[in-house]
Amino acid sequence: MSLDIRPLLSALRRSPTGAILVTLQVAITLAVLVNAAFLVSQRIAQLEQPTGLDTDNTFGIMLGGVSNKFNVARAESEDLAYLRSLPGVVAATVTVGIPLTGMGSWNSELWRQPGQRGTPVATNMMNGDSRSLLSTLDVPLIAGRNFRADEILPPSPGKESPAEIILTRALAQALFPHGDALGKTVYDSASNPLTVLGVARNFMGAVGGGGDVPRYHAALLPITPGQSGFYALLVRTQPGRRDEVLRIAQQHIGASHRDGVIGQTLTLAAAKDAFEADNRNKAVFLSVVTAFMLAVCCLGIFGLTTFNVGSRTRQIGTRRAVGARRRDIVAHFMVENALILTAGALLGSVLALAVSDWLTTDYGLPRLDLAYLLAGVIVLWVIGELAAWQPARRAASIPPSVATRTV
Amino acid sequence: MLGYYLRLAFKSFRRTPGLTALMAGAIAFGIAACIVTLTVYHTMSGNPIWWKNDVLYAVTMDSWDPKGAYDAAHPQMAPDQLTYQDATYLYGSNIPRRKTLLTLVGGALSGAPDQSIPLSVLTEATTAGFFHMFDVPFEYGGPWNAVADSGPEPLIVLSREENDKLFGGADSVGRTILWNNLSFRIVGVLNRWYPQPKFYNLTGGGSGDFGRPADAYVPFRWDAILHRWPGGSMGCWGSGHIDTFEQLLNSECVWITLWVELPTAARRARFLDLMNAYWVQQHQQGRFQRPRNNHLWNVSQWLAIHGVVSSDSRLLLRLAFAFLAVCLINTVGILLAKFLRGASLSGIRRALGASRRQIFAQHLIEVALLSLVGSLLGLALGALGLLGVRAMYAHSYSDYGAAAHFDPHGILWALVLAALSTLLAGLYPAWRIGRVSPALYLKSQ
Repeated sequence: MSLDIRPLLSALRRSPTGAILVTLQVAITLAVLVNAAFLVSQRIAQLEQPTGLDTDNTFGIMLGGVSNKFNVARAESEDLAYLRSLPGVVAATVTVGIPLTGMGSWNSELWRQPGQRGTPVATNMMNGDSRSLLSTLDVPLIAGRNFRADEILPPSPGKESPAEIILTRALAQALFPHGDALGKTVYDSASNPLTVLGVARNFMGAVGGGGDVPRYHAALLPITPGQSGFYALLVRTQPGRRDEVLRIAQQHIGASHRDGVIGQTLTLAAAKDAFEADNRNKAVFLSVVTAFMLAVCCLGIFGLTTFNVGSRTRQIGTRRAVGARRRDIVAHFMVENALILTAGALLGSVLALAVSDWLTTDYGLPRLDLAYLLAGVIVLWVIGELAAWQPARRAASIPPSVATRTV
Repeated sequence: MLGYYLRLAFKSFRRTPGLTALMAGAIAFGIAACIVTLTVYHTMSGNPIWWKNDVLYAVTMDSWDPKGAYDAAHPQMAPDQLTYQDATYLYGSNIPRRKTLLTLVGGALSGAPDQSIPLSVLTEATTAGFFHMFDVPFEYGGPWNAVADSGPEPLIVLSREENDKLFGGADSVGRTILWNNLSFRIVGVLNRWYPQPKFYNLTGGGSGDFGRPADAYVPFRWDAILHRWPGGSMGCWGSGHIDTFEQLLNSECVWITLWVELPTAARRARFLDLMNAYWVQQHQQGRFQRPRNNHLWNVSQWLAIHGVVSSDSRLLLRLAFAFLAVCLINTVGILLAKFLRGASLSGIRRALGASRRQIFAQHLIEVALLSLVGSLLGLALGALGLLGVRAMYAHSYSDYGAAAHFDPHGILWALVLAALSTLLAGLYPAWRIGRVSPALYLKSQ
């Protein structure tokens, strides 16, 4: 069986419009498909990062004072005593902000040298008693020790400044890439020296969705929170008891402070959901639009092939009459479609690379992995051929007698 | 003739219902995607007070650390808020026609009838000028006056939503309420006011750039008197520890926004001179050690430097346009095929005396009808899409969801775009069919 390309090319040359339109559709669809798939996989990778926290059983209550009469230290210890007395509570602590949200978030920087020399490392500060904080967050200390009770300063420490700090592992690695951070000294923005007392397993601090602080950069300072009049209570409950404990705690604490008010109550599960919502929604939008685009492109291919079959009925009948088999007719249309797809794929690849380049420079996204381009071409090619299959098969069933008809 | 063409168009649709539905559907989806992304983009990039764009100015001075810029990503930018001493000094000037200081403060409202627990509220500590400068609409009462600012008098303005929550939406002017356990008298209740973005406070503190404005407003000096720590965003540098409110007032922490109304170029020049003179004086006393960077920003510049339009929304907008392009190219192809298939009918019509132009017109009407159907369907789908986006983002902290509300401008733009582009797409097929020679199709096939 000889595959004669010439009649194909001459047919294309005579009415190129349809072929050009499909080529354009294929090109745009490929460019979008490849880049969208890459972007979606990036976002999914971000979604799969573990929080390092027990999000199912932890909630936070953000409180603030309403007047000068609000004694923050006393309010905190009253609230903690109450919370720890509730049945179903595994651990409770007080800190500056609620993890996975920007609430109460305090971001700062740490330097390896005093006088703000060298590159600073951005970090989120979660102050408080590290022992109860880490146990409430269910985060183990990998190295070093916790703060001692006498090392923890009151909310407004005056001239005293903290001398120790506990870092997450990612933060320790960012500050000391070559080794053990334990025992070394880092400096805060006022050039106060802080000895690294301990290193905790990675967890996400009070960083919101965006922000310039890397997700796992969190540090603990031995200062009782509440200097600004705000503090966050974090509670971890036994599995299944979170909602009832939350309700009871919110009711009691909300009514127990004359000069304080609850700003927000939030479960870490809801915070995690909100935190991930942006990534998830963008991924969904990208996927939906790309899927629709593929569908529309396939429709175009289907339509063009059907049209070609319809307008070449006599030619097909003639070819069958002089001996072409059904297989040859099908092959004719499939090969023609393949030529169009190849042209579209070539144009689309150039377009895809251009779009990827623009995304990298204008949006700061990482470079496109060429494996995605290859996969995109193959997928589009296969789908495109499948779209032309049915009309091609219908063409094959055109009887040879059509050639001799005059109507 | 129009009626005849319309009837022909309907007949043509009925002949190939599946194909017509497909075309209309594809156009509708393309338009819906564009409506959603365009609405969000338009909201994000809008200037909610464009009529005052050239008279309102945000004031910035670079009081930051000589060792590093306020924003490492934009080192030539001064901090977008001022220290207490700088803000109050510049506010004292008589050069601006109107002026206002703003800072966010946390607080609690209690004492309303039927209120069981105190309500936490976002409060803007500001001056009377705020309401006049930003054209804030009032439902009941009005703002306090300048005398109340200097007192300060215990007067408060509530947002409409807060008034609904506390008093069921009734006229609460004249009643007292406890703000942070102090008795305040309500002088005004705002009407619906939700400028998108919240151009006067883009520091991200409080409810974010697209979040709701404050729930309550009190005269600025209450913040100092009650020693209320700033509840919005604050940036500090320097070696001193700040434990007391006194220290905060004298520190280099920036937590106050200053807006001035300078309607003429002369006033702007004078105010800038004032800023420069103040800079020199403070510089000699050891402050302002960074290069001089005194600036007056009008609203659109202010929005631009804050990069309020998220890059994501721009990306998605372009994606939607690409999708619409594919849908339109598809439509061109299908229309071409459809018209050429029906060429025999056009051939007969030509033989009966129709001119080329009439054939063209007839097919253009068909395209226009298709465009209309597709656009209307697209509008409905787009509205659903916007609802969907709001639902998806209901619990997220992103600004995208807040910006996805029905914006008549955005939707109008999208519709016009859709109708025009579909019409353009159909031009080529209609023109092609007008050009075929009728004799070819009258012959036996």
